[in-house]
Amino acid sequence: MTDTNITKEDILAIHPKVAETIAAALGCEVEQVKLEASLIDDLGAQSIDFVDILFRLQRAFKVKIPRGKIVEEARGSLAESEFEQGGVVTEAGFERLRAYLSEVPADRFKSPLDVADIPRLFTTETFCKLVIRQQRAGATADAAKPS
Amino acid sequence: MDDHDRSFSFVDRVTSVQPGVLIRGHYAIPPGLDVFPASLVAEAVGQLAAWAAMAAVQFRVRPVAGIAGRIDLLTPVRPGQTLELAADLESVDEETAAYGGTALADGVPVIRLQDCVGPMVPMADFDDPQAVQERFQRLCGPGAAPGGFGGLPALALDRRGGEAGQPLHATFQVPVSDPLFADHFPRRPVFPGSVLMHMNLLLAAELAAEIPPPRPGARWALRSVSEVKLRAFIAPGDALELEAHLSSRSVHSATLAVETRKGKQVVSGARVLLAPEDEP
Repeated sequence: MTDTNITKEDILAIHPKVAETIAAALGCEVEQVKLEASLIDDLGAQSIDFVDILFRLQRAFKVKIPRGKIVEEARGSLAESEFEQGGVVTEAGFERLRAYLSEVPADRFKSPLDVADIPRLFTTETFCKLVIRQQRAGATADAAKPS
Repeated sequence: MDDHDRSFSFVDRVTSVQPGVLIRGHYAIPPGLDVFPASLVAEAVGQLAAWAAMAAVQFRVRPVAGIAGRIDLLTPVRPGQTLELAADLESVDEETAAYGGTALADGVPVIRLQDCVGPMVPMADFDDPQAVQERFQRLCGPGAAPGGFGGLPALALDRRGGEAGQPLHATFQVPVSDPLFADHFPRRPVFPGSVLMHMNLLLAAELAAEIPPPRPGARWALRSVSEVKLRAFIAPGDALELEAHLSSRSVHSATLAVETRKGKQVVSGARVLLAPEDEP
């Protein structure tokens, strides 16, 4: 799954509010939350911070973001056993991740990749795209509701 | 016969519940205690919310302390009072429980929790799921026998160095054994985040007393705790280092940052808001 329908303009439009939200969760300066910043390696995020960030984004953008949504969407139609085996991302899973996390520089993808290390790839832009997708999914769901 | 150890249980009875949505209950603070700190009132609200969350996921997972967006410390409570507890759940799934809540004593609001999130952990790792479910049924029926809590362990902070008004540092050795570990939790003892918060607030109060008063005849009083984040479990026997420092101050308020480390690992952090209060 790729994001050809999410433009750079879409991402830049949402980036300031996402950056502000992430900065508040991590207790860092908003200027540090650049689009390409890795939340773990550059901003020092830990597991509980991702929970915090997702809830703050939900409240800030009024969208529902299930935990694990990024990996779930990256996996797409692959069965779990096709995506990972024994805690390590399969070759097929690795390619899905590279395509889905197209904003992540190629040199950050190291194979073999442990499932536990997937969040290490996430950047600020990953969360911008996540919010945009959830906003659109919400809008689609609302439009499908009977009036 | 309820033979569960209730030495760290702060809900005596659930009076109404919609699993995953809302829950109400109460807790009688044992009259024989010396004090019952605000952090334990917050624990009581959190435990009440946890029951509604666990019931919503058929007790497969349970929430543990994680994030509290804001806790307003409204009124101190006294041993012997009964807490009327309320929690409203924002969302519950297999990963997290998000909630807010309040506690009243004698009709007076004593604490308010907002934007709290508890990460879910496998129930069986911490407790017997069947036994927990039975305890919930008892709480929803006749209720549990009150009075299980016998007080906190000795929490002497060993303050290290520092001049008045400068960042405060202290060390604390988590006891290897204490009655509360039998309840928190039966299969995996964990030093409660709320007790850690209590110690952080003790240190914050000590620092607040050293900051120049906001005006003559007034002192700084603790009003709320925000951005609370517990990053790791604390086990019996762990050695902790606590720090409190002043991060901002004006005529109307001051903010302290508190942090706890286990070795190099930051295990918790929070901000404490102070406001002027007239000296008694």
